[in-house]
Amino acid sequence: MQNSAMNIEDKGGDQLVLHVGPQHPGSGHFRIIVTVDGDYIVGAKPDPGYVHRGAEKMAEYRDYIQNIPHLERPVIIDATGVTLPYVLTAEKIIDVEAPERANYIRMIMAELNRIISHLYWLGIYGIFLGHSTMFMWPMGDRELFIDLAESIGGTRVTFSYVVPGGVRNDMPTNFKERALKTFDYFEKRIEEYKKIFFNNPLMSARTEGIGTLDKKDAIRLGITGSNLRACGIDSDTRKDEPYCLYDNVDFEIPTRKEGDSYARCIVRLEELQQSMNIIKQVLDLIEPGPIKQVIGGVMRGEPGEAFVRTEAARGTMFYHIVSDGEKNPYRVKISVPSFRNLIGMTHLLVGSRLADMPAIYWSLDYWPVEADR
Amino acid sequence: METFEEFVKRILTILFWFLLISPLIIFPVLFLIVPLLGIDVTLVNEILTATIDPFKAIKLADRYGVGPSSTFFKVAAFPGFTFAALIATLTILYERKLMAKAQLRVGPLYAGRFEGILQPIADLFKLLGKELVVPEKADKTFFWAAPILSLGLGAALLTVIPLSPTTYIARSEFSLLIPFAIIGFSPLVVLIAAWASSNKFAFIGGLRALHQLAAYEIPMLLSILGIVVLTGSFDLMEIVEAQKDMWFIFPQFLAAIIFYITILSELERVPFDLPEAETEIVSGWLTEYTGMHFGLLQLGVYVKFYVLALLFTLLFLGGWNGPAFLPPLAWLLIKLFFVITMIIFPRAVLPRLRIDQLIRIGWAWLIALSFINLFIAVIESSLGVI
Amino acid sequence: MPSNLDTENQLVKSLTDQFKNKIKTEYVKHNRIKISTNQDNLKSLATSVKELGFEQVISHGGTDYPDNNVFRIEYHIICVSKKKLRSIMFSIMTEISKDTPEIETLIDIFPSAEFHEQETYENFGITFIGHPRMEKLLLPEDWDDIPPLRKDYTLPGRG
Repeated sequence: MQNSAMNIEDKGGDQLVLHVGPQHPGSGHFRIIVTVDGDYIVGAKPDPGYVHRGAEKMAEYRDYIQNIPHLERPVIIDATGVTLPYVLTAEKIIDVEAPERANYIRMIMAELNRIISHLYWLGIYGIFLGHSTMFMWPMGDRELFIDLAESIGGTRVTFSYVVPGGVRNDMPTNFKERALKTFDYFEKRIEEYKKIFFNNPLMSARTEGIGTLDKKDAIRLGITGSNLRACGIDSDTRKDEPYCLYDNVDFEIPTRKEGDSYARCIVRLEELQQSMNIIKQVLDLIEPGPIKQVIGGVMRGEPGEAFVRTEAARGTMFYHIVSDGEKNPYRVKISVPSFRNLIGMTHLLVGSRLADMPAIYWSLDYWPVEADR
Repeated sequence: METFEEFVKRILTILFWFLLISPLIIFPVLFLIVPLLGIDVTLVNEILTATIDPFKAIKLADRYGVGPSSTFFKVAAFPGFTFAALIATLTILYERKLMAKAQLRVGPLYAGRFEGILQPIADLFKLLGKELVVPEKADKTFFWAAPILSLGLGAALLTVIPLSPTTYIARSEFSLLIPFAIIGFSPLVVLIAAWASSNKFAFIGGLRALHQLAAYEIPMLLSILGIVVLTGSFDLMEIVEAQKDMWFIFPQFLAAIIFYITILSELERVPFDLPEAETEIVSGWLTEYTGMHFGLLQLGVYVKFYVLALLFTLLFLGGWNGPAFLPPLAWLLIKLFFVITMIIFPRAVLPRLRIDQLIRIGWAWLIALSFINLFIAVIESSLGVI
Repeated sequence: MPSNLDTENQLVKSLTDQFKNKIKTEYVKHNRIKISTNQDNLKSLATSVKELGFEQVISHGGTDYPDNNVFRIEYHIICVSKKKLRSIMFSIMTEISKDTPEIETLIDIFPSAEFHEQETYENFGITFIGHPRMEKLLLPEDWDDIPPLRKDYTLPGRG
């Protein structure tokens, strides 16, 4: 069997080749082949593809509605983040537009999903640094936001909630008070997170100055999302090219200049607060109205193409759909943030210490299932 | 394939014939063959009754020199290995419950009806039931030797440490030095386990352990020198007696902190759990060990945990000294519980350090501080504080 | 949405001035520009686009058109550092024949396209000349069927 990755042998001498993953507590469904010389990594070769399902090919065999749950599967942790750009692209092809209330509910769901995804990331980052309490706390608090999202979307994680023309169903009437109660609680918890983890001297000793990404390199390599913002670039698709009704709300883009692992952590922590601010504003702005524009019959697009980008939890999510007028799309191209951040991981790992590998790897919020699609 | 009924029938048949035949074999052996060999039949009866009556068991054991006052009992049961292993397993349970409470979880809950009190036994049976996997390319002799050595090392530490003025296995004038001499072997066990596994992650873990233990053994020894200066003795008995009026944690506060940090490092606990850092090197030197191999290695580590916590109690917290309304042993166990909590607690609040940071702390800070502490001890000794 | 296409038209004009009839403007919409060229001019077009300030390849992919016997290859390029250009996505497109699926790589201009090109290689069988790692990335290493995103590959059981 031709296995390119397996061709790397021990080079002898002081160098040691380690296959980190796919069965490794610190890898996920993904392998990275690192060559270490003493404690330093001298070569890193990522080997994704262990959870590659051919989502793009399979999307060509499903119609526009069937594709929603299908394309949700790669990123169930950020379900709205991955279905929203798809639906926006499909809406351009089918030529429908969602009513105002639906757009607001979409924003609520997208931001809730961003919080859920960031909390999951934070938990895993805690355990990657050996801090088991920081694994348990965010995972527990994440359930509260899952409950909130469940009250709108109906399921815990895979909502399939956003559909072309609007959203599937209206949100419950008591959502506002429930959400505000949860936010009040969680804002106190963020302070506790800071006490035990972010202001912990050992935590900063492990992450400050580790995996520093230069601003120029970040742009050159195509880094996206919070990782890019941690390098001092305030690029956020929600501001750059507002979709839904993000131009109606007022929020900040957290940035840091340092570009190291700690900066990436702090940026994500501040994004949690910003997401809650957005939801609070939306809950004030939202007014009763229709939630869906009903489309009769099978959805068929005009021949043509559309491409849309949105800001998902991990960065800019990009969809390109080509239609030939049939009920199934002719070609669906998904460009996911994890896949684009992967190149940065190779760049950062070479020259760092083996012990810093988890600290760098997960600070990039690389999600193997999303990258493999 | 046999059906379920056939299976049950087969089992019952075997059981029936076993019950029928076994008395036919056992009783002739007991009452015919045993007397022929010159053993008294009443003794056999005594052994059988002793299995259900502890008082008779003690009497019987006394008759053969293995009773509660014998050396064998001291080594094997109390205050020797069984007691240490019991404390070690209880420590594991306590650690899991404490961590769970800190992390807003419940921890072990079901085994034993009350707060998972029987979880260590359930874990033991789980480990016993697991297959012992020995890697094909492992160095078989050393791979098997490492768990036994680990436990043996833990057991050897118990020999000279007293638990109260009357409870000890052996007395020695150098009872302070002997445990530290034995602890010096523990990097060797780790290295044997790591090398024999022939696994790259285990190898890295073993090397890390070696670096770490080398960096921490020296400050550990230097930190207790202050107490030796103050008491002029290497005998733990005398050191504890010298703390009747004041615990050494007050005049030797710096030493207590250094000793506490080195205990964390010696036991490979957070934030110094680098040799087992699971997200970096899987499980470090324990990677290839399964089942009871792993159980023995863990037990060895936790027996060492018990011994070091005990040493901290004896050296700095006045050992068994305390008001007379409780027996000395009770005071010791109360203080021990406190020290064990202190050793477990960093795991709930701290992340892991990196090997270079750890070595810098060991060589650059702790050694310097322990020399300063030695100066303090000399000054205190000349001023006659103790 | 009422929109002002000044910036977009300005960008396109600077390119048409430079390349004259070597490039064809597919469309200019609000925040979207698409320019097609032939295979030989792709690299110089990409260089010019980068000089205009677009610095990241956000997506690169191919589409199979069996009726015309061509692959259509697109690079979608964005800018993240300049406020003025951030909202615009610039697409450059070329068509290559299915008989000789070879094209020069753009990774020396846009390093961010490295893994995208590798993905296009394994999914369409298009070789990128000059790319350092023309090997399987996401597909299994022992995949010996036709590249899966070509239209003549059908999913098993889906006809």
